[in-house]
Parts: sequence; structure tokens; C-alpha cells
Amino acid sequence: MRVTLAHREAPESKPQAMECTYPVIRSRGFSLHYGAKVGVKDITMDIHPCSVTAIIGPSGCGKSTFLRSINRMNDLIPHVRTEGLLEVDGQNVYDKRTNLVNLRQQVGMVFQKPNPFPKSIFDNVAYGPRLQGVRRGDELQHIVEQSLRAAAIWDEVKDDLRKSALALSGGQQQRLCIARALATRPRVLLMDEPCSALDPIATGRIEDLIGQLQSTYTIVIVTHNMQQAARVSERAAFFCLGELIEYDRTEKIFSNPTKKQTEDYVTGRFG
Amino acid sequence: MNLGVRRTLDRVFTGLAGASIVLLTLVLIAVLGPMVYRGSSAVLFQGTVEFRKMQRDLFRRADRTALAAEIAETDQARQVVYEMIDRFRKGIDIEAMSSEARQINREYGRELRHNDASADEYTEAREVARTIRDLLQEAFRSQDIELIRRNVAEVLARKDEARFTGTVAERYFVMAADFLEAAEHIDLSHYHDYLVALDEVEVILFGSIERPGLLGPRPNQAARPLAMSSYGATRWDQAQALLDRLLWAERWVEQEPGQPLVKQRSPRAELFHDTALEPLFTYVPQNLNEMLRPRFTVYWQFFLDDNFDSHYFGGVGPELLGTLLITVLGMLFVIPLGVISAAYLVECASEGPAMRILRMSINTLAGVPSIVFGLFGLAFFVLFLFPKLGFEPKACILAASLTLAVLTLPVMIRASEEAIRTVPRSYKEGSLALGASKFRTFVIVTFPAALPGILTGVILSLSRIAGETAPILFTGAVSMGPIPKSIFDPTRTLSYGSYDMAVGDRLAMMVPHNQYGMVVTLILLILVLNALAVVLRSRVFKKLKGH
Repeated sequence: MRVTLAHREAPESKPQAMECTYPVIRSRGFSLHYGAKVGVKDITMDIHPCSVTAIIGPSGCGKSTFLRSINRMNDLIPHVRTEGLLEVDGQNVYDKRTNLVNLRQQVGMVFQKPNPFPKSIFDNVAYGPRLQGVRRGDELQHIVEQSLRAAAIWDEVKDDLRKSALALSGGQQQRLCIARALATRPRVLLMDEPCSALDPIATGRIEDLIGQLQSTYTIVIVTHNMQQAARVSERAAFFCLGELIEYDRTEKIFSNPTKKQTEDYVTGRFG
Repeated sequence: MNLGVRRTLDRVFTGLAGASIVLLTLVLIAVLGPMVYRGSSAVLFQGTVEFRKMQRDLFRRADRTALAAEIAETDQARQVVYEMIDRFRKGIDIEAMSSEARQINREYGRELRHNDASADEYTEAREVARTIRDLLQEAFRSQDIELIRRNVAEVLARKDEARFTGTVAERYFVMAADFLEAAEHIDLSHYHDYLVALDEVEVILFGSIERPGLLGPRPNQAARPLAMSSYGATRWDQAQALLDRLLWAERWVEQEPGQPLVKQRSPRAELFHDTALEPLFTYVPQNLNEMLRPRFTVYWQFFLDDNFDSHYFGGVGPELLGTLLITVLGMLFVIPLGVISAAYLVECASEGPAMRILRMSINTLAGVPSIVFGLFGLAFFVLFLFPKLGFEPKACILAASLTLAVLTLPVMIRASEEAIRTVPRSYKEGSLALGASKFRTFVIVTFPAALPGILTGVILSLSRIAGETAPILFTGAVSMGPIPKSIFDPTRTLSYGSYDMAVGDRLAMMVPHNQYGMVVTLILLILVLNALAVVLRSRVFKKLKGH
């Protein structure tokens, strides 16, 4: 099922209850600095469950930084400093007591370039569950199958789970990475330009997949491709120079933005 | 630049590159070829019956009945040589003959006393015997052939006297006859020269206490303490060299006063011209085959056998074992240490002045001469650390492998560091994003992905550890000694053995095939170990690539 902009024009088709639930990710005046450099500044936004939220904006505007803040992947970079509040499921991400392992299993991530480990397909998907302490073979088998089915790649690889993941095509690898992220049963799935290294057909399949996943998972996707943002997302946030300029329903951002900057960007006059 | 010129330049460049590779290959062949050729003669050669005897006695390895038959046959062929020499010696060895004459006289006297002869008979017989002895001794000392003939005739005239028949005195007459026969052929004025020349021939043929001969000790001779001089030429090429020495006498001659001496070769047979020994110099070359029975031998046990007398006999078994032990133990130290250090440098350490100093130290360590590591190992591991840990402070396998591990650590660290650094960041991020800890990420994702590069470091360290000599000079290597029972014993190694044979030992110089054999064994060992590592690396690589 291809989710199109036309389809999105009927928001009533979404159950209202979803819209009203407590936001999964809550950001209040959140800032992040790399040493003296500003990553993101004073972000305040709520991300709602079981929906797709797109983050768009020009290069270097802090979209990826914000995304990676949500599961603290920025910790890898030295001299990172944060201010303000960022919550996932009511838990402060940057609290000292936050269990990083739990957080990252709650918040799965898919990267720009497909990055399967140089292991078998099975071992790739089973990596997360094994970290969680799942040891039983049949249980692992079950989780792997479920995850691969959820990532719509099961039919292509079911006969050859022992094959190296690196032997798959780029699009298959990316879906495998999604399956790997789903295997830890996260609530949130962060996608950092998941299609930028793929050809249009593979991109189409990933987008279909996102459409299928949004009923179960909260998806935050960073993308450069505005058509893609319009196709897959329900809400969109426009970032510029580390600041959140506008955050609203996707059709509003693309058809009738409040801010001049947003309009310039989505109409292609800028960025 | 126009296209033609560019194309020409490209071709020149390709040609140069190709030529340099060909040149390198040629150099490699030129260096290794002769070594391998000479080393192979430690295993493949023409072994004589003496080699088989040695194998029977020292290594308990022979077809005993067949060998006994062979020895009987060769002994028969050698008997002629023994007889020739004995006969010749009778004519010239005056001291020996004089003492034998005296001996006969004494024994005859003792016999007479036992025979209950009357006093008169006894006195007379003793008197005659003494006269014969004196006549003979006078003849032995004389250089006048007339006097010799007269004395011998006088002695032989008494041959048939009844009192001598059946007694020890009969040997007088045999001796007299033999001596006269020899004296007729020998220039008596030179008998001393003959004696010296004969001694030389005997040493070449039968060896001496410190030098192996062509045929080995005579069957009735006393056993010699060294194995090497207890056997004749064990190899046909050795036999040829000794034969050459037998046939040609070398003299250093001063041609002009004050000038360096000049070596001159002359046929040794000339020294014995017209004597009973002259036929020896045609008999030996003609019958050498019969006396030594060379046969093509594949001595594959060379790689396993113990050795005797500074590698004069035997193989390189203990050396091979020692090298393997030290290498394996050293790798056990250096691989984990190197990988962990590299992991720390890449994954955990933050850049700063301390880090710069650490890195510089590692690089400097890689350039320190190996002998310095040897002395360090002696001072630190053997003399300082071992007593502290309650071990005996002596050079041993453990100390040697630790020293070698320290020596190759920089190589290992740098190779592993490079390997770990080149693992795509996305692997690490992927693993961390799934909630894995840094340690787990390293062990499960980064390390396997870096394994091919780490194995390259292993190959480099392996060759270094197996081949280094200086670091183990004082920390664990010996040139002889028992096979180690534990890692707290010193051991023989191929590298140190090669060094020791090259500089230390006159005996070793006499067996270049064993010397080269040892070096070639070392080269082969390193090649085999490297090949194993390369195969392992390519398998890991294939697995990673998913083919």
C-alpha cells in the first residue's frame, strides 16, 4: 500500500483517540552543544504515538542531531553538552540514572546507510534479543521470524537465514536493519534518512513498510526528500539552523505553512 | 600532453613496475635458491654404510640383519687396506719393533722358567735369545742395508733350533723376515719421514680422536668418546673430500723468502714410491664404493631427530620443538595484549598529550634494536621478575617468549589499531543503537570485523618471533642441552642454533649441509606458519564478505 499525499487529505480516517494520547517523546527547551558549537537550540515539541513524524530542513540544521539525541547516540561524540528536557515515555533521557541499554532498546534506530553486521541474517536480527537475554532457540527463532515478517523481508530470506547479511542487496539490507531494530520490540523507531542510499524501487518498498509499521510504532524520520516526507508522514517539523521553525500536520506544512521560512523551503526557494 | 606521449608514459610505468617485480623475484631466488639447495642435502644425499651404522647406534633405526651382512662385506673390502698398512708399519716403526723384541725376550724367559729346564739349558737359551734381540735391535737402528742383511741372516740361521720351536721366540723370525723385506724396499735414511707420512694416512683413513676418517676406526680399535670420530664418512660427498685428501698431499711452501706461503698439491703416492704402501693409493679409489656402499638416502627424520656433537650427526628436532614452543607461547602473550591495547587506543583513549607520548613510545619501541630487548628480558624478566614471583632466575622458554612478545608488541598493536580503526563506524553505531555496551560491541561486532587486519599483524609478529635470535640469547636459548620438560627450562631453537653453528663451532663447519638444513627448516617453518595464518585470514575474510 503506497501512502500518498492524496490519501493523507482525509485525516478523519485516523482514529481520534490516537491524537489525544500522551506524547511518547516530549521535548521542552532542549538544546545540545558540541563544545562551543550549537547542535540544536531550544527545541520544544511533542511526538505522538503510532504516527509518522518527519523532520525536514536544510543540511546542517540539526535534524539528525535532534534525532540522535532521542536515543543518546550523540554520547559517542566528545564534549557534548545538553540543556533542557527530553523525555521518552515520561523518562528523562539525559537523566544520570537513565539506563542506556533500556532506552536504546525502547528507541530503535535505522541509519542512513544500511549497516548489517558481517554476520548471518539470523544473527543480525537476533542480536538485540540476545542482548536482552533471550537464549532459547525456539524463542529467538520466533522473534526473528516475526521481525523479518514485520519488515516485509521474510519471504525473500526465509530459506537462507544462515547466509551472510552482506550478500543481500542494498534495499534488502536496509529492511533487514529495520527488522533488527524491531526485534528488540521498541516503542519508537528513529530513521535517519533511511532511503538516501537506495534506488527508487527500494525506496518505494521502504516507504510502504513505514506505512505498515506506523500503526504499531512511533516513527520519527529525518529526510531530505520532501516528497517522501509528504508521502509518509502525518506530522512534519521544519528545522533550520538548529532551531525548530514550525511543527504541524504535514499537509499544513506543505500547503499552508505559518512561517515564511518554511514556505520558502517547501516551495524550493531556499535550501 | 598529447595522447601518444601519455600512452607511452603509461606503458613505461607499467613496464618499470613489472620489471621491478621480476627483479625482486630473481633476487629472492638468488638468495634462497642456494640456501634451499644446500639445505636440502641435509635430507637427500648419498648415505654410506657408515651413515647406516650411525643410525643404528645413535637412533636405534636399522634393518639389523641386512646391515650386519653389509658391514661384513665392506669389512672384507677394507681388510686389504688394514693389511697393507700393518705390513708397511712393520718395516718402519723402529720403536714399536724394538719394544716388541724386548717383549718377546721377556716372555721367552718366563716360558723357560715354567718349562722346568735345567739351569744350564736356561742360561744358554736366555743367552741366545738375548743375542737375537740385540742383533735385531742393531738391525732396526741401522741404516746400512749390508749390516741388516748380515744380522737378519744370523738370526734366521737359528730358526730351526729345537729350543725355539713352539715357543714365543718364533715371532723373532717372522719379525726379522718382515723387516728385511721392508728394509729392502725402503730408503732407510728417511724412515722417520715415512713414519710421519704413514701417521697422516692413518688419520685420514681411520680418523683420530677429534677428527672423523674415511673408513672410521679399525674394528679392533678402542671406542672413541665422540660420536663424530667413531664413524667413517657417512656421506658420499664427504667421502670424496677425504679421498681427495688421501690422494693429494698439501704442503705450504715458501717460494721466496718473506713472501706468503703457497699451497702445493702433490700426489701422496709419491711419498711412498716403491714401497709396500704404494698400491694403497690405487686400491682405495678403485674400491671405495665397495668399502662404503653409498646409497641414495631420504633422511626425513632430520626434522625430528636429536643431534650429537654440535650437529655433526642427527637432525633439528629439539630446535624445531623449541622454536614452536617459544613462538606459540609468545603469540599467546602478544595477541591478546596487542589487541586489547589497540582496542584501548581506538575505542577508549581520549586524545591528549599523554596519548601522544604513548603513541610515540609505541613507535619508538618498534625501532629499538633486538639485542636491547634481549638484555631487557634478562634484566627484567629473568633477574628481576622471576625471583619476585618465586621462580628460579634462569633463562627459560617463558622468559624468551615474554621477551619476544614485548619485541613484537608494537607491530601487533599498530596492525590491530589500523584494523580496528577501519571497521566501519556504522557497525559500531548499529550495535550501540541496539543497546549493546561498548565492550559487547567490541567483542561481538568490531573484533570479528577487524579480524583479517589483526591476522595480518599476527603474521608479521609470527615471523619475527620465530626468527629472532638476539632477544633469546640471554633469556632462553642454549646451543645444547636436554629437551625442555616445562616452560621453565631453556631450549634449543632454530634461530639461535643457526647463529651458533655459524659462529661458534669448528665441528659445525664440517657439516654445512646440517647448517643450511637448519636455516632452511627455519624458513620452511615460518612459511608454513604464515601460510596457515593467510589461509585463516582468507577464510575469515570470505565469511565476513558473505561468499
